[in-house]
Amino acid sequence: MSNILLNVEDLSMHYSTRAGEVSAVDNVSFSLKKGEAMGLVGESGCGKTSIATTLLRLMPDNALVKGGHVYLDDTDLLSLREEEMRQVRWKRISMVFQAAMNALNPVYKVGEQIIEALETHHMFATNEEARQRIVELFTLVDLDPKMLDQYPHEYSGGMRQRAVIAMSLACHPDLIIADEPTTALDVIVQDNLLREMMALQKKLGMSMIYISHDIAVIAEVSDRIGVMYAGRLVELATSEHIFKRPLHPYTYGLMSAFPSIIGPKRELTTLPGEPPDLIKPPPGCRFHPRCPFATEICTKEVPEFTDMGGGHFVACYHPVEVS
Amino acid sequence: MAELSTPTSTPVAAVLETPLWQVRLRLLLRGIKTNVGLFAENPIGLVGLGIIFLFFILMVAHPIMMKTVWDPNIYNPVTGYDPALVAHPSPPSATHLLGTDPLGRDVLSQLMWSTRAAFSLGIIAALVTVFIATTVGAVSAYFGGLVDTLFMRLADLIIMTPTITILIVLAALLDLGTIHLAVIIGMLSGFGGATIIIKSQALTIKVRTYIEAARVAGGGNAHIILRHIIPNLMPLSFLYMMFSVTSAIAIEAVLSFFGLLNIRMSWGLMIYTTSFAGYLMDLKKWWLIFPASISITMLCAAFYLVGRALDEVVNPRLRKR
Amino acid sequence: MRRYLIRRIAQNILTFFLFLTAVYLLLDAQPGDFGDLYLADPRLTPQQRAVLRANLGLDRPVIERYAIWLRNFFKGDLGISFSNYPRKVMDVILERAPRTIILFTSATILAYYVGFVMGKILAWKRGGLLEYLTTVTGVGLYTVFLPWFALMMVWFFAFTLGLFPIGKFLDPVLWRASPVDANYVFHRMLLTASISAIVLMVWVIFAQRLNPAQRRPAVWLGTGIILAGILLYWSSTGVGRYAADILHHLILPILTLATVNFAGVMLLTRNSMLETLREDYIMAARAKGLTEKSVRDKHASRNAMLPVATSFVLALAFVLDGGVITETIFSWPGMGLTLLDAAQRQDVPMVTGALVFTGVLALTAHLLADILYAFLDPRIRYS
Repeated sequence: MSNILLNVEDLSMHYSTRAGEVSAVDNVSFSLKKGEAMGLVGESGCGKTSIATTLLRLMPDNALVKGGHVYLDDTDLLSLREEEMRQVRWKRISMVFQAAMNALNPVYKVGEQIIEALETHHMFATNEEARQRIVELFTLVDLDPKMLDQYPHEYSGGMRQRAVIAMSLACHPDLIIADEPTTALDVIVQDNLLREMMALQKKLGMSMIYISHDIAVIAEVSDRIGVMYAGRLVELATSEHIFKRPLHPYTYGLMSAFPSIIGPKRELTTLPGEPPDLIKPPPGCRFHPRCPFATEICTKEVPEFTDMGGGHFVACYHPVEVS
Repeated sequence: MAELSTPTSTPVAAVLETPLWQVRLRLLLRGIKTNVGLFAENPIGLVGLGIIFLFFILMVAHPIMMKTVWDPNIYNPVTGYDPALVAHPSPPSATHLLGTDPLGRDVLSQLMWSTRAAFSLGIIAALVTVFIATTVGAVSAYFGGLVDTLFMRLADLIIMTPTITILIVLAALLDLGTIHLAVIIGMLSGFGGATIIIKSQALTIKVRTYIEAARVAGGGNAHIILRHIIPNLMPLSFLYMMFSVTSAIAIEAVLSFFGLLNIRMSWGLMIYTTSFAGYLMDLKKWWLIFPASISITMLCAAFYLVGRALDEVVNPRLRKR
Repeated sequence: MRRYLIRRIAQNILTFFLFLTAVYLLLDAQPGDFGDLYLADPRLTPQQRAVLRANLGLDRPVIERYAIWLRNFFKGDLGISFSNYPRKVMDVILERAPRTIILFTSATILAYYVGFVMGKILAWKRGGLLEYLTTVTGVGLYTVFLPWFALMMVWFFAFTLGLFPIGKFLDPVLWRASPVDANYVFHRMLLTASISAIVLMVWVIFAQRLNPAQRRPAVWLGTGIILAGILLYWSSTGVGRYAADILHHLILPILTLATVNFAGVMLLTRNSMLETLREDYIMAARAKGLTEKSVRDKHASRNAMLPVATSFVLALAFVLDGGVITETIFSWPGMGLTLLDAAQRQDVPMVTGALVFTGVLALTAHLLADILYAFLDPRIRYS
């Protein structure tokens, strides 16, 4: 068990809103090895960002963890006191936010904000050493170290993203959660950045969780992919298996929605309907209203997240047969 | 500015048959209902309205009282005098619920009569403000360039200058009555801060596609401004009306208190009379100062509260999520 | 930054000219001119009156008179006050302006500081009753009839509790024995205050260089030293008790003016903080492991301050107006009282002078506020 870094067991979380309780994350379980890159993919509102904020315990005020455990190296993060959690944040787990431009405070210099992270975790004795570290980080992400005395609005979009990545690396974290790291950028910058992130990850040996709705992005960078739907993890397998042998009907639908440059022309399959209302989610399997293979049992009982062989997990009564 | 959807329940033919004005009316009513609902969610708005209503009753009650219960010779707010009492000002009694002022006039009667002065002043000033601010805002946003710069610089100048200071000077040099004062306050308000905000709102409207559509359909400048831009500015203008009333009432009160206005009776004037007669610091004669001051404060506050509540309706960003 | 400053100063100068022109036209454009008042002596024959009018330059066209007035203005000659005859308007202004500046500056600083701090606290402790109370108090203070409020302050603190004097600038009985006049003492006080303020600012700037742990105590130490220095100086001069008397008379007016203005700041800060706390960089700051206090004070406050600084510009006029009313109720001889007096007595030169002073004060404060804003928001410096 010593090379498992993160073990999430039956994590459930909901939001209290005026309209009712939104069941945003329901019994999600997965584990992450050291140095492994995992992707979490799914539509907007499927709960992937909620998981990220829950891991760092940065949920908004109206969010409540209903159950489950998040074991980081045998410590349940959900049981820690706030001061203890603060030690974990950034030093063991850090995050690259969605639309990371906004993760930088506009009134402070970028270098100052990174030094702040270092100071909080007592990483350096003197200002000099701290600056050295930042110069190192900037060089690592291919940013001109002179930029650290500038303000965020003086950076371009891609540069800000790199700065944020540099910031996330500052305290040598064991795990970095990258939430839609490239969504707001144009395709070319996106491509470069993704490659760089992959290279960094391999070089520094951290674990990563990539969150995105863009399966192409996820496929490039992850060793394993988890597919989420309506707050539940419906499939978890290596990238190759997800693409070549998707077992869950939803995953299958996602894959077929992609036109392929190579291979024969075919009609794109689309999934009819919309994701369910999470205040009153459908009973049983939450995908059954849209699933072409749904039967009576799918409407009554929640399918178990089972290993179909070789670490390929699926929660479905009618996994797709490979023909 | 509520976005409304057409009713999907009635069949298309029925919808097409009803005359356009009826459809517009129905949409307008629905819009009003939604906005009233939103307004009612906020207790402060309702409190404000309640207070305004109370003062309205006061205002309406005065002529009734004068015709029925009160003897005009004694209770007239400006010329009344009660010879039955020896010393004026006299404390509250059965015949004079709020006592009499140094000149022997009934304080309650004055209070009620002045409500009318306050309301009329406020409404005139507000209407002038709205008219000017909306027009100037729309025109500045629409035409831009020199016109825009001129009006914005003017607005900056006005915002920066303390209103009461200027009005003290004006009131001292000219002979200002209610209407003059109302118009002047309205103009200052209208060309001032309100214009800037309305202009930025107008700018967001100007770039919307339906404006382009209107232009392509052959609408001239005046048509676009009048039929498209200004109606969408109305909610915001209405909001500024409320604040404008607040400041008008407050300004008039201060100016009357300084004795600079040519008004027959107002709350501020009541306090001026007290001051002139030397009773300003005499707190045993509280009825000379408190009722008028509290009325001023309450009515100002009421309009301000209504304005704040309206702000939440008009400005969706501020609504509680 | 420099370019921004130069642009703002140039704009201010332009606005000032517009203001001067507006003031002149305002006072000149009423029906009849002050010549009528001045030459109202019925014993003058029409010919004498015509000659006098020509001497006063009243028959020349407006533009010429305006030019003359402007020229005199820049020479520092604002005419002679009718009501304070034969004192020059400029003299009166020089005597009273510092007092109003002190009142205005102290009240504004107090209102904004307390308002900001309380607004921050309110944004943090969101609770039904407290929020409701503060909103009610805030609106009440914003719309209260200021003369009445000032009166209540006088009645409560001065009359009933006897803590402060009822009005005026100083206590004439005490000053009978004084070897120096009030202006001397007052100017010394002004000097002390300015020097202390500058020294304190420099001290705070230097304290930023230290580690976070040492900064707070360093600032407190600095403040203590400065206060001790002030006390030492004043007790050594021998006129200390007169300065104390002036201070004693200053406190209630400043408190009154500050109270009426702080509520608006408080509510605005609260709303601004709540908005800021929703921003992404706040979550990022928390993710970095910063304490809530640090997030609130270091990250949220700086950004929440920006709308408040903007509102300051709008609130300036409000504070100036409030100053006029406060000075009147307290019979405190500053420019506000002078303005009102002069207006009531139709002392046109004095009114002009007072208006011009108000304009200059407003513009300067506006400029300072703009500089402060540029200092707080780096984005604006490069626009």
